[in-house]
Amino acid sequence: MAENLTLFELNRQIKDTLAEALPGTVWVVAEISELKENRAGHCYLELVEKDDASDEIIARARATIWSYTYRMLKPYFETTTGRSFSDGLKILISTTVEFHEAYGMSLNVKDINPIYTIGDLSLKRKEILDRLHNEGVFDMNRELPLPLVPQNIAVISSATAAGYQDFVEQLEANPYGFKFYHKLFEAFMQGNEAVPSIIAALERIFEYEDFFDAVVIIRGGGAQADLSCFDDYDLAYFITQFPLPVITGIGHEKDETIVDLVAHTKMKTPTAVAEFLVAGLLRFSEHILGLQNSISQYAKDILTHEKLFIEKIASGVNVAGKLFLASKNRQLINSLYEIKSAIEGYTSQKTRQLDEIESSIRFASRSFITECGQKLSSGIQDLKYGARHQVQKGNHLLENIGFKLKNDVQNLVLKRGNKLTFWEKQIQLLDPEKTLKRGYTLTLKDGEIIKSKKSLKKGDLVETRFSDGKVESKIEKL
Amino acid sequence: MATKKLTYKEATIEMEEILEQIENEELDVDELAEKVKRVSVLLKFCKEKLHKTNEQVEQILKEMEG
Repeated sequence: MAENLTLFELNRQIKDTLAEALPGTVWVVAEISELKENRAGHCYLELVEKDDASDEIIARARATIWSYTYRMLKPYFETTTGRSFSDGLKILISTTVEFHEAYGMSLNVKDINPIYTIGDLSLKRKEILDRLHNEGVFDMNRELPLPLVPQNIAVISSATAAGYQDFVEQLEANPYGFKFYHKLFEAFMQGNEAVPSIIAALERIFEYEDFFDAVVIIRGGGAQADLSCFDDYDLAYFITQFPLPVITGIGHEKDETIVDLVAHTKMKTPTAVAEFLVAGLLRFSEHILGLQNSISQYAKDILTHEKLFIEKIASGVNVAGKLFLASKNRQLINSLYEIKSAIEGYTSQKTRQLDEIESSIRFASRSFITECGQKLSSGIQDLKYGARHQVQKGNHLLENIGFKLKNDVQNLVLKRGNKLTFWEKQIQLLDPEKTLKRGYTLTLKDGEIIKSKKSLKKGDLVETRFSDGKVESKIEKL
Repeated sequence: MATKKLTYKEATIEMEEILEQIENEELDVDELAEKVKRVSVLLKFCKEKLHKTNEQVEQILKEMEG
C-alpha cells in the first residue's frame, strides 16, 4: 500500500474500473449547454444537469458525437423534433463512458432518442404557457382590437426570405387595388440571435406605434426550420405586451409555436397573412359600400314615401276642402232659407200693414176727394155764374167805350187836320231856300254852318251858299 | 379639431349613425339631404384612402429606420 501510483497508473485504474462498471452503452438524460461542430464534422458537446428548483448545475460532462454518427443523428433528430440540434435542448442519448488517461472522461454518443426531447419541449412549452397564463398576459395581444382597416403594416422578417417576397407581392398585387403601406424591420428568424433581434425589431416598431396598424412576423419557407425562438418565453412575453396586434406567418405545419398562440392572429404562411390583410380591407370596403347602398336605398324610399305622403295630404286637403265647402254650402242654403222665410214673413206682415194703410188711405182719400169734388162743383157753379155776369157787364161796358171812342177819334181827326194845314204854311215860310231867295246867305266852314264870328280866324276858307249856288272865300280880315 | 384627420373608424361610425337615424326615421327630408351629402363625403374619404397612394405616408415610411 505504501507504493505510490503514477497519475497514469491511477487514470488507467479509473479507466479499467469504469469499463468494468459501465460496460457498453447507457441511456443518459442531459441538457446541451454547449455545442461545437468542427471541420471534420465531429460534434463536441458540453452536457449538464441542472437542479430543478435552483437551476444550478449539479453535474457536467463532455460528450462527443463522431462525425460518422453525427451525420445520421443530426437530421434524424431535427426532422423528428422540428428543432435544430443545439444548446439548451434536453436530450436522451445512448452513450458509452470513456476515460482517456490524458483527456479524462468523455461520453461517446452512439444514439439519440428525439421523442424525449419532444416530450421535454412540450413540457417546457406547457410550463411557458402556464407561466404566461398565470401572469395574466397570455391573451393581452389577442385582445387588442385589430384596426378596422389594417393598412399600415410593420413587417419583421429577413429581407432575403422567400416568404417576405411572397408577402409583399401578394399585398401589392391585391386584385382590389387597395393601397398598403408596409415597412420591413429586419431580424434573424432563427438561431441564437433570433429572439434578441426580433425583440429589437419590435422595439423599433414601438417608436412608430401610432403610425402602424399591425405587426407582421413572417419567415421564409425552408423545408426544415428551427422554430425554437418562437417558443421562447421572453419573446412571447414581449409580444403579449406589445401595443399593436401581431400577426404571425411563420410557415410551419407542426404544432403552433408559443408566439403563434400569444399573437393576435396566426396564419400559416406569409401569403396567408397578406390575404388576411387584403380580406380585412375588402371587408371594410364592402361594409361601406353596404352602408352606401342602404343609405341611398333608404333615402330613395323616404323620398318616395314623402312624395306619396304629400300627394295624399294634397288629396286629403282636397277632399276636406270639398267636404268643408259642401258643409258651408249647406249652411249657406239653410241660412238663405231662413233669411228668405224671415223676409217672406216680414214682407207679408208689411204687406198686410201696407194693405191696411192703403185701404185706410184709399178710404180717407176717397171721402176727401168726394168732399173736394163737391166743393169744386159748387165752386165751378159759382164761377160759372160769376163769370157770366161779369162777361155781360164787360160787354156793356165795351159797347159804351166803343161808341165813345168812335166819337172822340172823329173829333180828334178833324181837329188835327186843321192844325196840320196851319203848320204846313208855317213850315213853308221857314224853309231856308225861301229865305236864301229872299237874299239871305249861309256861311259854312268845313260843312258846318257858321253862326258866330268867333268861330272864324284869319286865313280860314269859308263856303257861302246862295239860293242859286255857292262860292268859296278866304277870311282876310276879322 | 379642424386639423385632426378623419379616421376610417370615425367615418364608419358616422355613416352607421346616419343609417340608423334614417332607419329609425329620425330625419326630416331637409336633414336627410344634408346627411346623404355628408355620407358621400365620408365615402369619398374612405375610398380614396383605401385606394390612393398618400405621398406623405410614403415619405414617413422612407424616413423610418429599418
